[in-house]
Amino acid sequence: MDIKFDRIAAILFLAVAVLFIIGSRSIASSSYGSVVGPDIFPFFLGIMLAILSIRLFYETFNGKKQEKKNEKLQYKPFLIVLIATLVYILTLESVGYVITTFVFLFVCFQTMERAKWLTSLIIAGCFSGLVYFIFVEVLKGTLPGWPIWF
Amino acid sequence: MNTLDYLLHGFGTALIWYNLLFAFVGVLIGTAVGVLPGIGPMSGVALLIPVTASITGGLPPEQAATSAIILLAGVYYGAMYGGSTTSILLNTPGESSSVVTTLDGYQMAKKGRAGSALSIAAIGSFVAGIVTLIALIALAKPLSDLALKFGPAEYFSLMLLGLGAVSGLAGKSVTKALIMTVSGLLLATIGIDNVSGIGRFTFDIPWLYQGIEFLTIAVGLFALGEVFKTILEKEEEDTQMAKINNLLPSKEELKESAGPIARGSILGFFIGILPGAGATLASFFSYILEKKISKDPSKFGKGAIAGVAAPESANNAASGGAMIPLLTLGIPGSGTTAILMGALMMYNVQPGPLLFEDHPQVAWGLIASMFIGNIMLLILNLPLVKVFAKIIQTPKQYLIPIIIAISIFGVYAVQVSVNDLLLLVGCGLVGYFLNKHDYPIAPLVLGLVLGPMIENNLRRALTISNGDFGPFFTRPISLGFLIMTVLWLVIPVIMKMRGKSVVINEEA
Repeated sequence: MDIKFDRIAAILFLAVAVLFIIGSRSIASSSYGSVVGPDIFPFFLGIMLAILSIRLFYETFNGKKQEKKNEKLQYKPFLIVLIATLVYILTLESVGYVITTFVFLFVCFQTMERAKWLTSLIIAGCFSGLVYFIFVEVLKGTLPGWPIWF
Repeated sequence: MNTLDYLLHGFGTALIWYNLLFAFVGVLIGTAVGVLPGIGPMSGVALLIPVTASITGGLPPEQAATSAIILLAGVYYGAMYGGSTTSILLNTPGESSSVVTTLDGYQMAKKGRAGSALSIAAIGSFVAGIVTLIALIALAKPLSDLALKFGPAEYFSLMLLGLGAVSGLAGKSVTKALIMTVSGLLLATIGIDNVSGIGRFTFDIPWLYQGIEFLTIAVGLFALGEVFKTILEKEEEDTQMAKINNLLPSKEELKESAGPIARGSILGFFIGILPGAGATLASFFSYILEKKISKDPSKFGKGAIAGVAAPESANNAASGGAMIPLLTLGIPGSGTTAILMGALMMYNVQPGPLLFEDHPQVAWGLIASMFIGNIMLLILNLPLVKVFAKIIQTPKQYLIPIIIAISIFGVYAVQVSVNDLLLLVGCGLVGYFLNKHDYPIAPLVLGLVLGPMIENNLRRALTISNGDFGPFFTRPISLGFLIMTVLWLVIPVIMKMRGKSVVINEEA
């Protein structure tokens, strides 16, 4: 158990709980024909979450300190993939599915292992092309296919 | 119409060519999911929901729901078959439910009996699959008749029991599991309240009016979370694959494993019905049982065939048993069945006692397709096991980006909204950190799926009693469920206090 993470998580959960409790107070307390309004359920849940997160915070004091495992995390490829994913999502609607998917896949393939760029190109091309063809041409689905300025 | 007629109609549905194809694709992907260590049945099913939704888009709603659920259920039980392959050949379980299989399976492979181990695992899974299906057919009608007599108070307590059971058994800390459950329920309250029509926690943002989409959360937390984990915690493995000599088990081996398969099937089935306990627990318990009743317990761990036959039958039986509360009561007992339920609800098919009356095509079509799917798996697995074992060698550098691309495509195809994609990536990050620190994710998804139903039943019950909480405790069935919920949550805590180790369900 990582005590630091649990403490921060407990505080965050408590904050969420308090926000939900406050938020549920501003919802109408009854609906037509019933004494039970839409506010009761989230209100009770908020209180439960608050109690549980306080309990979690309390538990972190009893927890035994564990030796931290020294694991090497691969931050660099992860960050590249994460940023590539975000760029992919945000450009999807303007640049279109085929081009963004192709670029995204190629970047990720190369990030994971820098070798065989030709294979990467082919797989990325096949995937984006095939998905677009099958989904839009065969199944008549909606995808932004090509750049909007085309 | 009696049960047999319904079943025959079900076969009529399941034998339509495209449904056969869906079942085949489902079990094929399921086996692959089972073999690949990175992807579990939960993320496999979650990932495929949007894909099947777009493929079945052209069919009429009820047929689309049938075909989709046939494919998704195929992935679920197919994964149970596939999980054993890598456990036996490589000593790396593809699923948490096949961890126990490595104990004896890998030892058998080392001694050159990999073929018999694999075929016994496949035969055991098949027998278990058929046994649970027969039990499912026998129990479906009486259970849904019983459930029809339930009022809102009973339903509320029953769902509470489901949530309590999953939280009590998921992960190392009950507190953390409960936090995840309550968070799931809270997330479910976002959106327009469907009783009063008042927007809750929407902050007047139109995107939030329809609520947080279950699909986005499930794909993000499970599939993307696991992908991020694989990228961050890259492991270099070089494992030697055991050779497969003769595939068919000898008569003696068959005779030796008949008992374990039968016991494993029955035990697994009953564990599967229980909410919260899933395939992992079932395989674990059946292994212990075999070891206890064996004449020569020292053989276990050194390549006893019973140590492969029993857990492999049990995990498949449990996955079938878990379908019973889902289909008859409308209460999913595990993470994967919660996702299946979410998929059904996307098609406006509400699982529960009325499923068998309102949508007999869906319910019986699914049951019949499970028969066919199990036969397909047996045929696929025996001769093609070498091909499947090769799947594990799929280079991760291609697999991982493609999983991300499929999740993004799937969510966008169903939701057509960039906001959902951002939420998806956010959920992936949150899922990775939560999982890393022992916050179980299955209860959250279960809470998200059950949230609206729990709330509606609570409010209906309270409206009937004019705001009085009494009926929950005075109606006997409801009280029984509530007592069971409390016991389920309290007993593991007490056992932990006494220093006993409690078996937990890593993933359902």
